[in-house]
Amino acid sequence: MKFLLFCPVWALLATSTLAQQTPGVSPKATPTVVPQPASAPKEKVAAELKGGSVLRVNSTDQSYDFFRPWSKKAPVNRRGLGAVIDGGEVLVTAELVWDSNFIELEKPETGERSSAKVAVIDYETNLALLKPTDAGFMKDLQPLDTNGQVKVGDHLSVVQLEANGTPVSTDALVTSAEVGHYVLDDFSYLLFKMSCPLQYRDNSFTLPIVDDHHLISLLLRYDPRSQTIEAISTPVIQHFLKETEHESYAGFPSFGIEFAPTRDPQFRHFEKLSDAEGGIYVEDVAPNSPAARADIKTGDVLLSIGNRDIDADGDYSDPLYGRLSITHLITTLFYCGEKVPVTLLRHGERKDVSVELFHRPPQDYVIDPYVIGHAPRYLILGGLVFEELSRQYLREWGPAWEKEAPQRFVYFDRYQGDLFPEPRKIVFLSQILPNPDTIGYPSLNYMMVERVNGEPIYRLEDLAKAIEKPINGFHKIEFDLDPKVLYLDAAKVQADAALLQKTYSLPLLHRF
Amino acid sequence: MTRCIILAVIAGLTITNAIADIPKVDVHKSIVRITTTAQDPDYHVPWNSGSISTGIGAGFVIDGNRILTNAHVVSNARFISVQRENDPRQYSGEVQFVAHDCDLAIVKVSDSAFFKAMLPLHLGPLPAIQSGVDVYGYPIGGERLSVTQGIVSRIDFESYSHSSADSHLAVQIDAAINPGNSGGPVLQNGKVVGIAFQGYSGDVAQGVGFMIPTPVIQRFLADIADGHYHRYVDLSITPESLTNSAARRALGLPDDDTGVLVSSVESDGSCGGKIEPGDVLLSIDGHRIISDQTVELDGDNVDLAEIVERKLKGDKVKIDLLRNHQPMTVEIELQPNNPYLIQSNIFDEDPRFVMFGGLVFQPLSKNLMEAYQIDDLQLRYYYNNFVNEEIFEQHPEVVILSNILPDPVNAYLAGFRYQIVDEINGQKIRTLSDVADAFKKTADFYVIKFIGANRPAVLQRSAVEEARQRIIDNYGVRVEQDLGQQTLK
Repeated sequence: MKFLLFCPVWALLATSTLAQQTPGVSPKATPTVVPQPASAPKEKVAAELKGGSVLRVNSTDQSYDFFRPWSKKAPVNRRGLGAVIDGGEVLVTAELVWDSNFIELEKPETGERSSAKVAVIDYETNLALLKPTDAGFMKDLQPLDTNGQVKVGDHLSVVQLEANGTPVSTDALVTSAEVGHYVLDDFSYLLFKMSCPLQYRDNSFTLPIVDDHHLISLLLRYDPRSQTIEAISTPVIQHFLKETEHESYAGFPSFGIEFAPTRDPQFRHFEKLSDAEGGIYVEDVAPNSPAARADIKTGDVLLSIGNRDIDADGDYSDPLYGRLSITHLITTLFYCGEKVPVTLLRHGERKDVSVELFHRPPQDYVIDPYVIGHAPRYLILGGLVFEELSRQYLREWGPAWEKEAPQRFVYFDRYQGDLFPEPRKIVFLSQILPNPDTIGYPSLNYMMVERVNGEPIYRLEDLAKAIEKPINGFHKIEFDLDPKVLYLDAAKVQADAALLQKTYSLPLLHRF
Repeated sequence: MTRCIILAVIAGLTITNAIADIPKVDVHKSIVRITTTAQDPDYHVPWNSGSISTGIGAGFVIDGNRILTNAHVVSNARFISVQRENDPRQYSGEVQFVAHDCDLAIVKVSDSAFFKAMLPLHLGPLPAIQSGVDVYGYPIGGERLSVTQGIVSRIDFESYSHSSADSHLAVQIDAAINPGNSGGPVLQNGKVVGIAFQGYSGDVAQGVGFMIPTPVIQRFLADIADGHYHRYVDLSITPESLTNSAARRALGLPDDDTGVLVSSVESDGSCGGKIEPGDVLLSIDGHRIISDQTVELDGDNVDLAEIVERKLKGDKVKIDLLRNHQPMTVEIELQPNNPYLIQSNIFDEDPRFVMFGGLVFQPLSKNLMEAYQIDDLQLRYYYNNFVNEEIFEQHPEVVILSNILPDPVNAYLAGFRYQIVDEINGQKIRTLSDVADAFKKTADFYVIKFIGANRPAVLQRSAVEEARQRIIDNYGVRVEQDLGQQTLK
């Protein structure tokens, strides 16, 4: 896992092409390239770091095995650097500590250690706050300021540590700021791109990027060939930290639309959009999303959000970074709970609406975009293993999961909004563990469960309830694909359950 | 022509024994060498006439002055020349019947002098396993007839690679197979027991070659007896084995290894409206259906499909079944299955398309998927599920925006490539002809809606007219549409 950070950028770009669904807003237009202002490079050194503003973070992470949902995969050790911030907390990337069993902070110069807990984690923006279990551990450390601000063209320092704990800083030039893919598919925020000749050193995940005593950015990935960094931007870090001050962490807001640009003059004529205005065409509105609740409809043309005009590509003019996708405006500049004025055109008529922003949690999707930090849900009946479909399951097929995973499920995932408009989950047969009850059944998998004992199945709880009422002593399980129906002898399944559990070493026959 | 295949020899003791039984036949007077100049359609640039290639295969004379060969020897033919052994002359041939679903064809030679002194070969039975056979043809394109020997290794259903969507009975022989004499006869006891037609490339398997056996050939000859080839017929249902004890008891069936469960029925197919999902099929034409989807035929357990395989269009089968535990008998009039042709290779047809404003519209087909190497998730889904999800009910043809010839008129439409056309100006698009009709109607705007996309593509009539000649000239568009004949009905 050590070299994950250094995997070539093209691989990461390949996954970002799925930016179709709607966590916030999915731009279909190409990202803006911000023109580089001609400012003189600042002279920068890393000398200020001696006071101990960074800590080594060692995390033992163990994620669940979605092919065998009753067990975890082998644990992996990840190392990174954490940035010490106010309040005795340490900021790291979420990737460093997700599915962690044990986290340890280490002072680079003295080697002094303390275990730590995750205080807040946001998988979507890839940020996490750690708190040491020993409060006194942070006493003599010097927190970094988090109220800094950079522009394209500024020089920053990427902080690394030598094996002996000496801080090393490498100059990085901010070359652009644009909305791009972070770490989970579909979740895009403002990214900084930097040019920087980074050397591989002691640690891998999470390198803080600083400007004097200001924490500006955290490294997301580095491409050694082109020597470019993609990093979590300052506004995203600031939004995250501000949100963590609240009693409960609300996450980053989503808007809930898919949009298309309106550049095409023939399309503008047809839609009667005057040549002077920009505007984006609403292609889809996610049910129950902030946009849906504000009565924004497919076919509306959005002209402004939060009093910022939207151009025909879906960009607004940002005072710091120039033309940026409205994704940044909605997800990062606004906060959950805010009411944002939106001006739109519907059938040629102007209309003003107010959109109250909130975060859309992964469980709200038909197919969860990620399942991290908690166990996958499953139920085993007579050797038939049922799970709920999630992107995390599909990702078990590796980086090329969109090609390798069962294509029917990939299609379900991509088009879930159209295919499954009502709130539900997809319960499916993931595999059959052969046993006396399944003799004569072929090795079946990847079939969606439609009904069990006559009851429609929208989630695993429905399945658990349905198997309490077998029909004439048999469970009748109906699927979307051939063979469409399987039968199990209810009494025999129950009698054989203990043996099945023993044979396949299943700690539990269900978990949800 | 790399499509053609021939068998080579692997010698063994059993073969030597078998050879002693074979009476001498003067095969030289029956076999012909077929040279085909083919022009393969260009689905990528559908108004182009396609690339030309030449290939060599074999064929043999049967009764009625007919030459029997493989369909793939004469597919997409523009010119066919036929030669006899020991005769320098080349005769012009013509395809009279072609059956792409079972890779067989009849070639006619109009010059009556050709058949003088030719001896027709006669069809024999299905050969026994381990019996020896002689294979004739022109491996790797040689001028002179080649003979090889092998034994019958296996008799089973095999995929026929020519159409790639069909499976029929095939006989595996242990002779190596080389490109060049597909269509050549395989003889035993002086009679034709098969036609060599396909094999594996050397890096997959060796000593595995396949021939089309006589039940398939006889069915083809019977099918064309009325002057037209009607294709194979199909029940168009999915049966599932009933070997699980709980499943049998839940359905109230005795423990007698009889019966299969119908899991799906194609509504437009032969059984539509007559057989229902959930029916338990007990026998077909008096043959007991065994629970693993086989029937006993000529002392062997074969796939139950084999009963229907030997039937012709309009023939009937009688099926005994249980529906809701009640015994019933239904009579099924057999029809070919059409929807599955979308996944079948297309031959002898020009690609159909409509070009408008630089947008090229084509119906989804295997040829199209391969020509464009289409990777689009939604298109692959429609292609793979066209039959089982009965997409053909709404879209007898799945018409897609297959290509865009870049021009100012379509500068902003690139994102719509590979989308499926749903509507044009409010008119539902079911076939390619609907697209042509919609663009023929006068309108200020042509609003094209695609499946799964709420934003339409809009073409302004004036802009299309202004661009028309420019696109035709720039891209050498020979014709703007070819509606041809519709394959899928």
